[in-house]
Amino acid sequence: MGEKIRNPHIDSLKSQLAEGKIDRREFLRFATLMGLSVPAAYAFVGEVTGEGLVAPARAAMPQGGTLRLGSRIKDIKNPHTYSWGAWDSNISRQVCEYLTLTDEHNVTHPYLLEKWDVSPDLKTWTLHVRSDVKWRNGNPFTADDVIWNLKRVLDPAVGSSVVGLMTGYMLEEYDAGQKDEKGNPKKSTRLWDADAIEKVDDHTIRLNCKIPQIAVPEHLFHYPLAMLYPGDNGVFQPGAQGTGAFELTDFELGKRAVVKARKGYWGEGPYLDAIEFIDMGDDPSAAIAAMASKQVHGLVSADPIQFDALKALPFVVLYQVATAETAVLRAKVTQKPYDDPRVRKAMRLAIDPEAIVQVALRGLGIPGEHHHVSVAQPDYAKLAHFKRDVAAAKKLLADAGYPSGFDAELFVPKDPPWNGAESQAAVEQWKEAGIRVKVSIMPGQEYWDVWMKVPLGCTIWYHRPLGVMVLGLAYRTGVPWNESGYANPEFDKLLNEAEGTIDLEKRKAVMAKLEQIMQEDGPVVQPLWRTNFSFYDKKVKGFSMHPTNYIFGNKLAMES
Amino acid sequence: MLSFLAKRLVGLLLTLMAASFLVFAVTEFSPGNVARKTLGPYASQEQVDLLYSRLHLSDPLLVRYARWMSVLVGAIDDPLQDSALKLDFKDRRGTRYFGNFGYSTLFKAPVNDVIWTRIGHTAVLAGCAFGLIVPLSLISGILAGMREGSRLDRTISILGIIFTSIPEFASGVFLAAIFVVGFGWLPGTSPMDSGSGWSLAAQLVLPITVLVLFDSGYVTRMVRGSMAEVMNKPFIRTAILKGLPRREVITRHAIRNAMIAPFTVILLQINFLISGVVVTEMVFAYPGFGRMLLEASLFGDIQLIEAATLIALTVAVSTQLISDIGYMVLNPQIRL
Repeated sequence: MGEKIRNPHIDSLKSQLAEGKIDRREFLRFATLMGLSVPAAYAFVGEVTGEGLVAPARAAMPQGGTLRLGSRIKDIKNPHTYSWGAWDSNISRQVCEYLTLTDEHNVTHPYLLEKWDVSPDLKTWTLHVRSDVKWRNGNPFTADDVIWNLKRVLDPAVGSSVVGLMTGYMLEEYDAGQKDEKGNPKKSTRLWDADAIEKVDDHTIRLNCKIPQIAVPEHLFHYPLAMLYPGDNGVFQPGAQGTGAFELTDFELGKRAVVKARKGYWGEGPYLDAIEFIDMGDDPSAAIAAMASKQVHGLVSADPIQFDALKALPFVVLYQVATAETAVLRAKVTQKPYDDPRVRKAMRLAIDPEAIVQVALRGLGIPGEHHHVSVAQPDYAKLAHFKRDVAAAKKLLADAGYPSGFDAELFVPKDPPWNGAESQAAVEQWKEAGIRVKVSIMPGQEYWDVWMKVPLGCTIWYHRPLGVMVLGLAYRTGVPWNESGYANPEFDKLLNEAEGTIDLEKRKAVMAKLEQIMQEDGPVVQPLWRTNFSFYDKKVKGFSMHPTNYIFGNKLAMES
Repeated sequence: MLSFLAKRLVGLLLTLMAASFLVFAVTEFSPGNVARKTLGPYASQEQVDLLYSRLHLSDPLLVRYARWMSVLVGAIDDPLQDSALKLDFKDRRGTRYFGNFGYSTLFKAPVNDVIWTRIGHTAVLAGCAFGLIVPLSLISGILAGMREGSRLDRTISILGIIFTSIPEFASGVFLAAIFVVGFGWLPGTSPMDSGSGWSLAAQLVLPITVLVLFDSGYVTRMVRGSMAEVMNKPFIRTAILKGLPRREVITRHAIRNAMIAPFTVILLQINFLISGVVVTEMVFAYPGFGRMLLEASLFGDIQLIEAATLIALTVAVSTQLISDIGYMVLNPQIRL
C-alpha cells in the first residue's frame, strides 16, 4: 500500500507515442486505462507532440434555474437492468453515479474512484474509492457499497447486461443442477472465484480476473452499473438515496421526471436548481414545436429528420460529436438462408455505405465497414477497403444455391426515424443483387419484443468507447444480447485475446483478424456510423455532446 | 319509459360483453406476452417463462377472459398483484374491488391510476371543443340554410368543405408554423403542465382550434342541409303567406324541426371527440385518452386496451340513448 506500481505498459505506451507508432488519441485512451492520471497523460502528450491540452478559461457559472429537456420517459425502477442507455440512465445518473466516467473524447476518468492500479499481466485491478463521497443521508460511500453493487449486477437472477460485458473475466458457467425441457442440464453463471471481488479495506477493492482484461475502467461506466444504495434494494424511485448532485422528486412514466439539486455534493456544481425531463412522444415534430415555443431548452437527442427545422430557430446552438452509434441489419444465423456465410457476405457486398450515409443521415455520419468497429474507436484496425461489388454478391448467392436471389422480410422499429431511412436505402441496393426484401416497420415497443427472434432485423447499437466492448456484447457466443445467434469459437478466442492485450501493435493485429472474420463470416450488414447531434438554447451553459447522449447535470447552468 | 330504459340498459351490457370479448380475442394475436412485457426485453427467458406459468397465461382464451371479468367485478384478486410474484405492483385501492381494471404493463401502474386522468384531459379538450363546435355550426348552418343559394350560403358551404378536408395533422402543423414558429404567440406542445411558462389555457388553444375547424365544417353542412330542406316545406310557406315576419318563422317553426336530424350527428361528434382525437393529441403531445389508447395498442397492454374499449363503448351507447330521448323531446310525434 502506498508504493507506486511502475506500470511497464505505461512506459511502453510512452515510448510508442514518442516513436510515432501510436497517435495521441490512442495514447490518451490506453495510458489512462492503465491508471495514468488524466492530467499527467495530457501533460506527457503536450511534451512529446507539442499539442498540450489547453484548459478552456472557465467562466463563472450562473447559479439557479430549472433546465427543461425533451426526452422519453421510460421505466427507471431497476437501474441494474436498464436497456435503453440514455433515456433511462440520464435520470438516474443525476442521483446515482458511476465509479468512472468516459468523456466525449473517449478518455476514461476516475469518478467515484480516486484512481486505479493494474498489474502488468492485466489480471489484478486495484480500485481506490474516493474518501470524501457521502450518500445524501450522510453515510459515507465505502468499498462495501461498491462490492454490493458489483456482486448484484453479476448475479444472473438480476438479469443485467453487465454479465455480457464481464463474463469473460469475472464469471464462469456451471451446471446449476436443473434440467431444461429437453433434459439438458441448465447452465448458470457465478463468480469464477470466491475472491474475484476482494475487499482490501474500507476504500480499496481488488478485482482478480480470470483472464487479462484491459477495459475494466470503461466497463465500470456501462450505464447499468450505477452505484445504488444497498438499503434501497436495487429499486430506484423518488427519494432513492444517491451520491449524486440531485435527488429524484417526481416521476410519471411516459410524462415527466424532476430532479432537484441537493446540498453537500462532493463534486463540481450543481449550478441548477432542478432539471425536468419531459416526454415529447413519438412524433418528431412535437419536439420541434416544443423547442420553437421554448417549452424545453434542449433535446437529449435529435434525429436527422429534425435537423433543418431546428437549425432554423435563431436562439439555439448546434452540438455534435462523431460516435460509434450504428444500426446493424442483422441476420439470424440459425435460419435459412442466413445460415450460409456466403449469403451473409453477399448481403454486405451489395451495399454502398457512402450512399446510405447521405440518404439516411443527410450526411451526418461516416460510412461503416460491416465489422462494427469504428475509426473513431482507438482499437480500430484499418483493413483493405470493402468495396461494393454487386457481381461478386450475385456469384456468392449462386454458389450458395440462390441463383435468382431470394426473398426476405426486414423488421424495423419506427423509432428513431433514421433506422427506417437506412433500411429503405439498403433494400433498394439489395434489389440489384437479386435480394428482394420487404420492409416491415413496426412500433418500437413491438420490435423490442421480437428483436432477438426475427430472421432479419434493424437493431440500433449505441456508442461504446472501445470496439471490443461491442463485439463482446453482441457477437460473443451465448451472451444475453447476441441477437444473431452467432457462435464462432475462433472469434471468441480472438476476442478474449484482444481484451487482454495491452501492446497496441499486437492488439491491432488481433482486431484486424476479428474485423476480417466479421466481414467474411459475420452476421450483420453495418453501413454507417451516426454523428450524434442536438440543439440547445443559447442560455444553457456547460454542455457538450456526449456520444451516448449522456447528460451530466452537475456541470450544467442556465443564464437567466 | 322505464321499460324502454331498462331494455336499453340490458342492450348496453350485452354489447359491452361482446365487444370486450372480441378485443380480448384479437389482442391474443399480437406479438409478445404479458410476462415478457412486464419484465422487460432483457430479462432472461427463464424468468419470463416462470412468470408466464404463474400467471396461468397458457390457459384457454375463455378461462382467461372469465378470469379478467371476475377481477373486474371484484369477485377475485388480480393475479398480477399477488405479492408472491415479487413484481411490486401495488394498487392503493386493494387487490379486489368492483371496477378493478387491473394493472397496466405499459405504465407500470394500476389502470385506474392512468385512465381517469387521461379521460379527464380529453374531456376538457372535448368539452371546450364541443362547446365551440355546437354554437358555431348551428349558427353558420342556420344562416346558410335559411337562404339556400345565397352568397352567404355559398361562402359558408365552401369554407366548411375546405376545413373538413384538411386532416388534423396538416392543420395542426400549419397552425403551429404560423402561431408558434411565426408569431410565437402560442406554445408548440400541450403537455398540460404549467412549469414551462405557458398557461394551461394557452396550451389548449391550438388543439381546440384544430378540432373545431375540422369538425364544425362537417356539422355545419349537416345543419345547413336539414335547414334548407325544412325551409322548403309547405308549412313554412304557409307561415310566410300568413304574414308572420321571417324572423319569427325561422325561430318559432323552422329551427325546431331542422334540429332533429343534426341532433344525432352532433351527439355522434362526442364519440369522435373522445377517441378520435388521437391525431391531434399526438401532434401536440397532449396527455389524452386517444394517445394513451394508441400507445397501449402498439405496446399490447391488454388491460389498458380493454378498459379503454369498455369506457369508449359506454360513452357511445349512452350518447345514442340521449339522442333517442332527445328525439322524443324535439318531436312529440315520436314515441318509443
